Amino acid sequence: MTDSTVQEGKQQARRTSLIHSQPVRRFMANRTAVIGGVLMLLLIAASLLSPWLARFEPQAVDVVSRLKPPSVKHWFGTDNLGRDVFSRTLNGTKISIQVGLTVALVSSAAGLVIGLYSAYYRRLDQVLMRIMDGIFAFPAVLLAMAMMAALGPNVSNLMICLSIVFTPAVARIVRSSALVVKEQTYIEAMRALGASRTRILWLHIMPGTLSPLIVQGSFVFAESIIVEAALSFLGAGIPAPMPSLGNLLSEGKQFIYNSWWMTLFPGFALILSVLAMNWFGDGLRDMLDPHARTKRKRSRKGSMEKNTSDNNNEKVSSATQASS
Amino acid sequence: MVIYILRRLLALVPVVLIMSIVVFLIIYLIPGDPARVMLGDGADESTIQELRQQMGLNYPLLEQYGRWIGNAVQGDLGRSFFLQQPVSTAIREHLAPTLSLALFAQFIAVLIAIPLGVRAAVNRGGLADKTLNAYSLLGISVPGFLLSLFFVLVFAVRLKWFPVSGFAPLHEGIGSFLKFMFLPALSIGIVMSSLTARIVKASMLEVLHEGFVKTALSKGLRQNTIIYKHVLRNALIPILTVVGGSFGTLVAGAAVIETIFNIPGLGQMLVHAVERRDYAVIQGMVLFIAIVYVAVNLAVDLLYAVVDPRIRLQ
Amino acid sequence: MASENLLEIKALQTHFHTEAGKVSAVDGVSLAVGAGEIVGIVGESGCGKSVTAQSILRLLDEKSQASYSGEIHFEGVDLLKLSQRQMRGVRGNDISMIFQDPLSSLNPLLTIGEQITETIRSHRKFSRKNAWQEAVRLLRLTGIPAPERRVHEYPHQLSGGMRQRVMIAIALACEPKLLIADEPTTALDVTIQAQIMDLIAKLNRELGMSVLLITHDLGVVAEVCHRVAVMYAGQIVETADVATLFREPQHPYTVGLLQSIPSLDRDRAKPLQAVEGFVPALHQLPKGCRFAPRCPHADARCHAVMPLLEAKGSLGSQARCWHSEALSQKEAVGHA
Repeated sequence: MTDSTVQEGKQQARRTSLIHSQPVRRFMANRTAVIGGVLMLLLIAASLLSPWLARFEPQAVDVVSRLKPPSVKHWFGTDNLGRDVFSRTLNGTKISIQVGLTVALVSSAAGLVIGLYSAYYRRLDQVLMRIMDGIFAFPAVLLAMAMMAALGPNVSNLMICLSIVFTPAVARIVRSSALVVKEQTYIEAMRALGASRTRILWLHIMPGTLSPLIVQGSFVFAESIIVEAALSFLGAGIPAPMPSLGNLLSEGKQFIYNSWWMTLFPGFALILSVLAMNWFGDGLRDMLDPHARTKRKRSRKGSMEKNTSDNNNEKVSSATQASS
Repeated sequence: MVIYILRRLLALVPVVLIMSIVVFLIIYLIPGDPARVMLGDGADESTIQELRQQMGLNYPLLEQYGRWIGNAVQGDLGRSFFLQQPVSTAIREHLAPTLSLALFAQFIAVLIAIPLGVRAAVNRGGLADKTLNAYSLLGISVPGFLLSLFFVLVFAVRLKWFPVSGFAPLHEGIGSFLKFMFLPALSIGIVMSSLTARIVKASMLEVLHEGFVKTALSKGLRQNTIIYKHVLRNALIPILTVVGGSFGTLVAGAAVIETIFNIPGLGQMLVHAVERRDYAVIQGMVLFIAIVYVAVNLAVDLLYAVVDPRIRLQ
Repeated sequence: MASENLLEIKALQTHFHTEAGKVSAVDGVSLAVGAGEIVGIVGESGCGKSVTAQSILRLLDEKSQASYSGEIHFEGVDLLKLSQRQMRGVRGNDISMIFQDPLSSLNPLLTIGEQITETIRSHRKFSRKNAWQEAVRLLRLTGIPAPERRVHEYPHQLSGGMRQRVMIAIALACEPKLLIADEPTTALDVTIQAQIMDLIAKLNRELGMSVLLITHDLGVVAEVCHRVAVMYAGQIVETADVATLFREPQHPYTVGLLQSIPSLDRDRAKPLQAVEGFVPALHQLPKGCRFAPRCPHADARCHAVMPLLEAKGSLGSQARCWHSEALSQKEAVGHA
């Protein structure tokens, strides 16, 4: 997925930026972003390879070796039923990434459609964005938890709930950048030439919203991993026998007095996954987000102006400057 | 001033309306008959009908919403089937621990965020700035409940400085209150402060370019006077917006943390309600948070007026 | 001579550290202000006049952005050698400053009174009550009606002219010996401009306070200044008495500035003359005379070698030009 994102980023860059290779170079130069991307790839690889990496089944109970601290045999120790924490942590990471990726994709798609159409049709905007604002005003954990309570705890319900909760954040971002593109002269010209609305919307306005969308998507990815873990931890997310990170932490809490490894390792796995996505997203934003880019440009211009001129930014010829 | 408040109030109406509809509709996410789901398979038909009646499920949808919101406006959030008491009473009984935890956490957050953000803005690229960058990344990557688990591991289990869990209300003495509340409040506070500190920095940087900062410097004022009296005060409005806007999240975060520390607040009540599928409590709680959101937003608007005479005197 | 001068700037250079490298916004400026004198600095935007003014009080960010070299003597003390703490004792106390835009220069969240009294109380041992009385007195001095009421108001409640009077009141708070006024009337209405300039001239006369006036407006210079320095691209290109400058300009740039002033008795059929072209960017300054690319008289020497600021003419002017002797003769012929 990282590859495809970078690929999209590249296309995006080629289309919008002045020097098409520059954003990619900037991304590579942004060390944290690269680290985040590589870390994410490693985590994905590790979770996919878990059947080969871990010598134990995540659900294999071994009552004889219960609550054993980390050892050569069990790298992360064992839990109260003698299950291998390393294997369970890898599986938990896999579930987290699955949930994160799905939620990021679904809410990005939904947010894209809602954001685009609200930006283009003013009356629709009134309705859709009010709804988005209303949902956005709830704390994410709370709304997801209430919906989960109604739908019943399972993985697909969790994905649905989280997607609903995170769609407004995406829709807002898409809408605001689509509004900027919409105001540009060439869109006016397209409309005057009689291009169809759908065509304008999807072929001309949509590409301009892609960079912020991708950036926001990566943050939704990270955030939904956190909310999933919190919900599972509270017993309102993924149902218990499944080794999700939240469930592992919840089990770890019960044995926190003497089995620190049950909390520490799943905890670190959670932090690592979220951190990787946030790093990656930060890097993407530096690379793609036109707002951040113009902001940086503006500040550079600003500092130059401060140095080269006195008070006015405009360099007017002396006639206007020196007349009384 | 009155017009200002009315306008702010009016702007919040659509949001509240949508929020209430969302809360109301949650019950329709339940696959099948909510009453049947709540009571389980073994329930007899008359009990189910009684509950349906009590929940108002037999009315048309719009009328149900009308009744529900009408009651809610009057402070009646329905009745919990399991607690055998009105939801509003249950919320009131569980409010104090959550609220005190949230406020304590907010206090810690501001205590960390303001000096850190200010230092980072004034000395860009310096130690404080670098610290802030690392800190804010940590803050968005480490959820509060996980941080508190780590704190429990280190400070309660290993070092034994604090109790692992429990709660003492404030009126039983500040000492025991702090002993139980410090770790939970610290873990929420740290997560909150990373966000706030970033806003403090950004907001300070905007104001630092303003002309009156140069005036203040040319008057020969001390640096701290300039920074705190002139710059920070002008940077306060965006900071207040973020602090206020995140209060709902703060309460939700407090609710999650409560279950770790076994604090008898709204969070615990909510988790139990989810376990029991006590929808009246769930709806009431979420709606209550929506109301908190609105109230805090209004309070922030009023604070703007306190800070800025241009709003106060318009 | 040196001992009589209140302020004496010697070979001041102000450098900025930019992404394009180190540039000098002020490049070797020497200037003196005598006690009770009003000296003007004129020039286009970007010529370095404001930077010069701010350099005197060292208002630029020395931590990351700017650095100074040269000397700025104030009453015999080199300000560039003072510590930040000592510098704080000079700012607002011995030397104070007013800025172009009084609205953005005043803190919108504090009352006028607070902004005046904080200056007084940071330099003088005044009780809160006495400081407020002093603030009222200062406001009255600057001609603000009903100062007892105004002192409790906020900047947004005042008009532009009133705000600049407040700025002046703040500047006067500790009876400074020198007032630096950086384009004090640029942001104001024309009628208000004259009032503010009159006020500054009056305060100069009555309080004996020296003024360094930064402006792009030669009309203002003609009205209130005693001496004037013309700046171009970070350098002083000409200094003279005001009367001399207007009668016998020595530098082609000064000539250009004077010709661009509209006046009622000029031939309206002829277009107002502008100095063609733009001020060069600081990181790509010409090698020779900095004005050469825009100068009608420039020749090979002008483009190759930078002229020095030297005495020209008979009336004590100094100019930085290879051609000024010839130029003044031509001017004289033109006038005759």
